[in-house]
Amino acid sequence: MNTIKIDMDLCSGCKTCYDACFVNVFRWNKEEDIPIVAYPEDCVECNKCELACPVNAIAVIPDFKSIYWPPVV
Amino acid sequence: MAKLESLGKVISTDILIIGGGIAGLSAAIIAKEMSPDVDVLIVDKASSGWGGKANKGGGNIAYVDPKDSVDEFVEYHVHNIGCFLEDQELLRAYAEESRGNLDRLESWGVHIFRDEDGNPKYIRWTEGLPWRMAVIDQDVTLNMLQHSKKQGTRFIDRVAMIDLLQDGNRVVGGIGFSIIDGTCYIIKAKAIILANGDQNYRLMRRWSSGRGDGVAAAYRAGAQMRNAEFGNFINWIFVDSRDVCQGAEDVLYNAKGKHITKSIRPAIEADLHSKEVVAWWKEMKAGNGPIYANMAENKILNEIVPAFHSNALAVRPIATAFWDRTIGKAMSAATKKGPMQEVIPGFIGEQAPVRVNHQMTTTLPGLLAIGDVSWAGSAWQGAVPPPGRMRGTGLGNAVFSGARGGTAVVKYASKAAPAKVNPAQAEALKESMFAPLKRRSGIQAQELVRAIQDVMSPVGNSICMRKERLEKALGRVLEIKAKLPELCAKDWHYLSACNEVKSMVTSAEMFFRASIERKESRGWFMREDYPEMDNKKWLKWIIIQNRKGEMVISTEDVPIERYPIKA
Repeated sequence: MNTIKIDMDLCSGCKTCYDACFVNVFRWNKEEDIPIVAYPEDCVECNKCELACPVNAIAVIPDFKSIYWPPVV
Repeated sequence: MAKLESLGKVISTDILIIGGGIAGLSAAIIAKEMSPDVDVLIVDKASSGWGGKANKGGGNIAYVDPKDSVDEFVEYHVHNIGCFLEDQELLRAYAEESRGNLDRLESWGVHIFRDEDGNPKYIRWTEGLPWRMAVIDQDVTLNMLQHSKKQGTRFIDRVAMIDLLQDGNRVVGGIGFSIIDGTCYIIKAKAIILANGDQNYRLMRRWSSGRGDGVAAAYRAGAQMRNAEFGNFINWIFVDSRDVCQGAEDVLYNAKGKHITKSIRPAIEADLHSKEVVAWWKEMKAGNGPIYANMAENKILNEIVPAFHSNALAVRPIATAFWDRTIGKAMSAATKKGPMQEVIPGFIGEQAPVRVNHQMTTTLPGLLAIGDVSWAGSAWQGAVPPPGRMRGTGLGNAVFSGARGGTAVVKYASKAAPAKVNPAQAEALKESMFAPLKRRSGIQAQELVRAIQDVMSPVGNSICMRKERLEKALGRVLEIKAKLPELCAKDWHYLSACNEVKSMVTSAEMFFRASIERKESRGWFMREDYPEMDNKKWLKWIIIQNRKGEMVISTEDVPIERYPIKA
């Protein structure tokens, strides 16, 4: 499974990562105004959250070896 | 009978657009340009402006310039790409409107790169192809989102629309739920546009955005489907990262060092073709695998792609960062150094069969379908799955169909009676939609997703097809279909996944039934047992329709006598 690391000291709570994820990996912690990596198993390493984060607080670390791939022949 | 308001949050609008990617935003913007007072609501399962493929794809738009010949383009396309299965009138319309659609995009806040004379900067994939590709950056949909918001369009994010509400045949709204808090949404509308993509079976990684929800909802509501058999697109992928290996098709070598595609692709073509996949499959069956892409000879990756991404053509900081980051991470996963990298065909699908007319209206009153939902169902590209063998038509078609659909929907909504939703129908759909949440035990969505992927991915099932294999694959899909009532979900996120797998099963069943029916090979569609194109018997479109729960297949002659290019 991919790992999504967020440096909460850097996070400004802008919600860009939450919007940028097209597979809804994130949820939002309203009390603390920070993202929650709720469904990392759905991450498809598009890296949009990492690229869009204005303070470079996010790192997507793909786990290519764990990707399930069906038979092709 | 329950009152509608007791079932969930009821919202009324003139025009409901499901999906806030480039097609849905195009339609919304056009609708507001035509009629500023019309109420437009876009609902997206994730976030409008961030979904779809426009902010993750190649960033090119195919167009035919006034300096080019539309006649030449149509003739080339019919002979080399769509193989006589095109709606040639709509193909011509695409060519004629494509250049103007670039100006439209620019007026919506999208940066179109231009030369000193004000003409769009462009590139041709290879010299001699009768169309051009303009380039845009990956902020296209965010810019359109801002423009659309200024026009007054309303947006609701993170609501998955599952089914269509009907008054007789007429579509009068949609029902869905919030993936955040589970609120049931009932949206009444005078007209509805489906703009939520095609079917990608959740397999190819970052291009997996199309889940076929709109296709399946339209099918369940009784809309006709067309060209469902052209739903088997692939791309070459590296074994190590499962990321795309552009240009592999021209440089495939077997384990004995023999070039396996040189004879069938002596020169670079407009795009991939299924014939290379068939060549790969035959080598693998003969025990000559694995198959490698010789990256040192990869002209597309080493010459064309760099030209395409060069700053001399266009400075695109967002696209450049995206490609550098994604490809960089993928390449770092390579376990074997050197030019010979193992590749396999990565099944994508791109099944896009909702049938529409020239105004992007489906066969159901009040329901339109644009972008990848109806890419193949509109038939303008013929015998190919999207993006076909014409790079740049994914985005091009999104704007083309969005503009046409946006125009048509305003005309329809201005005359349509207010939407009348039947509470009993909404209640039944709500119960069905939430059923997996009520089951304490059962089958997880992921189990059935993988089961469907296992059926779609093998090349012998979906690319190099044969009656016996197709029937076996269909049988397997029907077994999976029988398990759908056992799906269970622990929260609304997984409930959405349950709905998606239902859509996948519907798409897979349509694909195999239509593929069994087409007893010939044409364009991208390859039958091992019927290897020739058969214009006497199969100049036909295959039509699929849900009739009281049964998937009914029929055929319809392509009106070739009406078209300029004859078979």
